[in-house]
Amino acid sequence: MNQENPQDELADLEISFTLNDSQVRVSIKPWETALETLRNKFGLTGVKEGCGIGECGACTIVMDGKAVNGCLILAAQLDGRTVETVEGLSSNGTMNYLQKAFLDKGGVQCGFCTPGMLMSAKALLDECDQPSKKVITNALSGNLCRCAGYVQIVDAVEEAALIKSKDAEDQAVNR
Amino acid sequence: MTDTNFSQSSSSIGLNISRVGAEEKLQGKALFANDVVLKNALCLKALRSELPHAVIESIEVQRAINSPGCVAVFTGRDIPGKNRYGLINKDQPLLADTKVRFVGDPVALVAAVSEDAAQTALSKIKVEYKELAAVFDPEEALAPGAPLIHEKGNLLGKRLIKKGVPDLAFQKADIVIERKYQTTFVEHAYLEPDAGAAFVDQSGRITIYASTQNPHYDQVDVAKLLGLPENMVRIIQTATGGGFGSKLDINTQGFLGLAAYLLKRPVKMTYSREEAFLCTSKRHPLKIVYKSAANKDGRLLAIDVKIIGDTGAYASYGLAVVTRSAVHATGPYEVPNVHVESVFAYTNNSIAGAMRGFGVPQMAFAHESQMDLLAEALAVSPLEIRARNILRLGSTTATKQTLTASVGIGACIEAIAPHYEQIKKSIELTKTKNLRGVGLGCMMYGIGNTGVQNPSTAQVELQPDGTITLFSGAADIGQGSSTVLTQIAATELGLDSNKIDLVTADTGMTTSAGATSASRQTYISGNAVLDAVSKLKEMLLTEAATMLRTGRASLTLKNGRIENISNNALFVTLEQVVRKAVTEGIPLKWQGFFDPDTTPLDPDTGEGNPYATFAFAAQLAEIEIDVLTGEVTVTKVVAAHDVGKAINPDCVKGQIYGGVAMGLGFALMEEFAPGKTVSLKDYHVPTFSDMPDVHAIIVEDAEPTGPYGAKGVGEPALIPTAPAILNAIADALGSRIYFLPANLERIMKAIHSGTSKPLKIKLMV
Ligand code: FES
Ligand code: FES
Repeated sequence: MNQENPQDELADLEISFTLNDSQVRVSIKPWETALETLRNKFGLTGVKEGCGIGECGACTIVMDGKAVNGCLILAAQLDGRTVETVEGLSSNGTMNYLQKAFLDKGGVQCGFCTPGMLMSAKALLDECDQPSKKVITNALSGNLCRCAGYVQIVDAVEEAALIKSKDAEDQAVNR
Repeated sequence: MTDTNFSQSSSSIGLNISRVGAEEKLQGKALFANDVVLKNALCLKALRSELPHAVIESIEVQRAINSPGCVAVFTGRDIPGKNRYGLINKDQPLLADTKVRFVGDPVALVAAVSEDAAQTALSKIKVEYKELAAVFDPEEALAPGAPLIHEKGNLLGKRLIKKGVPDLAFQKADIVIERKYQTTFVEHAYLEPDAGAAFVDQSGRITIYASTQNPHYDQVDVAKLLGLPENMVRIIQTATGGGFGSKLDINTQGFLGLAAYLLKRPVKMTYSREEAFLCTSKRHPLKIVYKSAANKDGRLLAIDVKIIGDTGAYASYGLAVVTRSAVHATGPYEVPNVHVESVFAYTNNSIAGAMRGFGVPQMAFAHESQMDLLAEALAVSPLEIRARNILRLGSTTATKQTLTASVGIGACIEAIAPHYEQIKKSIELTKTKNLRGVGLGCMMYGIGNTGVQNPSTAQVELQPDGTITLFSGAADIGQGSSTVLTQIAATELGLDSNKIDLVTADTGMTTSAGATSASRQTYISGNAVLDAVSKLKEMLLTEAATMLRTGRASLTLKNGRIENISNNALFVTLEQVVRKAVTEGIPLKWQGFFDPDTTPLDPDTGEGNPYATFAFAAQLAEIEIDVLTGEVTVTKVVAAHDVGKAINPDCVKGQIYGGVAMGLGFALMEEFAPGKTVSLKDYHVPTFSDMPDVHAIIVEDAEPTGPYGAKGVGEPALIPTAPAILNAIADALGSRIYFLPANLERIMKAIHSGTSKPLKIKLMV
């Protein structure tokens, strides 16, 4: 990247994608990361930067259903995709089942890893109904937490899986 | 809250109230320092030394200033106040003046319109250095002729503890074991790199938003650096992504204050992960030569311990570690004869300061290894030798402090004993291809600073609408102090904890609660809150008694009312009392204070009562070793912690789980190489898959001076884990590792060479 390129402006790209259920359009620099775009252009500061090189998972977002590190993908790669961040989990200010399970099980300490944890967990639970402890640990293995020792986070994801399958059952019964 | 008259008692002590702030964090709404947006804020970046020790001959900044987007470049000369800061010793320049002392020492600060522009400007600063001889080992730093790092010399400090007549006891002992233990620099690796933002308001006051554990200290040091009165600097703690001791130091705050003040423009600074590695303080590496004497029954007779510590280029909290490591040398055991000498030196390594435990985790590795060595030599079980020597009511510590209450180490050991026996048996009975082992780790930890005053203050205010606001300077960095303080205030006032509005860690709104360190906020700030709230409660009861024409003793606070104990139809609401108080000029805001009852340590003997209370813990670790790869898997940890009283059991458990994880990293994988380790690629911290099954047991031996009996758990959570794991490794291998971390290489060496040879062993049974 040439930081002094006087023609920076010319290099802008226009992309559009679905962001937390809304269709968005934004112009970006070709070298901008998804993390930078989401934080700086959309104000989604729930997406955290802990390392910038794919080592901590704090920047995890969900793209087309998969958990990815926002710091490792370019903004340009978001074009045409469906992107979810922690800000999209609640609806009308009410936390979803996953967030509630984290609250209930004490899965949040400093909270810096939390958005990334939630997004990795969401991608997992969207795919898999009743993950074993082992599957959970594997799915979240790219997310570091320095405060909580992971125990209550695993508990939270297990609880969330339970709530989710119970909700699904209830819906089936009601149908 | 329902509007019923007869809800059960409103005590929230012992309840698992959700953490204050957790909901915002779960929704991505909590503002961490890097999330604070100040319009048109300039980006700050520091130029840092790549040399460990050098004189600065010149700094050429003009090309940088001329580069596009650069607004200013500052050097040491631009600092208006005194260019020295530090938590205890004021020995650290904000920007180097005459020389640099470690790789990472800041030399110049750039303010620019964007991050890219700041980076470009940085690359255009030219510094001419004259390199000096450097020293990287504390013993070498103290040897005659060593390169001088600070003008006053390379000795940071020394602490002596003397009790009884150790020489005589060593002569008479049945067994003497002496070993040398060593640990390395360890990085805090909080997930949020240091960050902050600042602006100057119309009155000229500088407001700094910072990721910090220590807002009121930050305020004082930043004001001194700028040569301003303290009230011209306001520090507001943002949500803070972990600290573990390293955010006690000023990291970004000084730079932010300087640039905002000189430029009168909003500024922002965020450390890269690399910068957080290179430039912030670490855990002290210690060399510990530990000699223990016991009689043939396994009773400890004496210890002689020499501790040598490396505080790196600047002191930070080093002096506190000099003392605390010495005071805790015995561990949770009563030793009649003690000699401890702790000596720390400056070197040209990275700064070592506070890290969860202030030297005690390193000491616990040594004293717990010694206990197992004694047990083995005397053919006593590790449980038994500990049980025989533990501190009890009436015991005296190494500093001759007599323990009069809340000594829960016996209960902790009892709590894990059945698990230990059961695992031991299962290891004997089942043969596996991996080697298995089980080990114990015990500890004590003095709550609060060591033998110095460390008060906390708090205020509580009854608002005109009858609601309650609690003001505390205590910085919650994720450990849960805000939650605990709220529970204490709510319980005292008979309210649900969600009825308390909390204002914390803002020097413009709160008075000092002291640092979030030394596991002190629950005990010390909890007591300060209790003091403030009790005064408000007094007022409420007095006024309500007048209004209800009854005796105060017949009244109680419940659900926002002051009501008659036997007839809850007789009541007044908080709102009614406020109305009366306002018309009569009765104060609505009450001040609380608490400073633990301690005495300073005697400089020659270390005698004194350095802490008002101690936390205790015992943990066991069960491990497996793959002999082909050297890989250690910790399969189970049972952790029993005497916290006095668990105000919020889930928070206590959360601290224990997190402590176990960090202790596991300390034991097996974490090693920071000054000037070299710059990323989480080179520095591994435990992940999900490293975690054992953790069974946390809360032991409550109430502390009479604690709020509802509480003590603390933040640091104790981590301390016993590494010793337990190392003892388990020794159990599995039959040979012992004396150097942390016990990484693959050290494990393989231990497997193949059997490093268990003592320096000296004398057995005369
Ligand atoms: S910030 Fe993306 S993985 Fe750490
Ligand atoms: S809660 Fe602090 S890093 Fe996970």
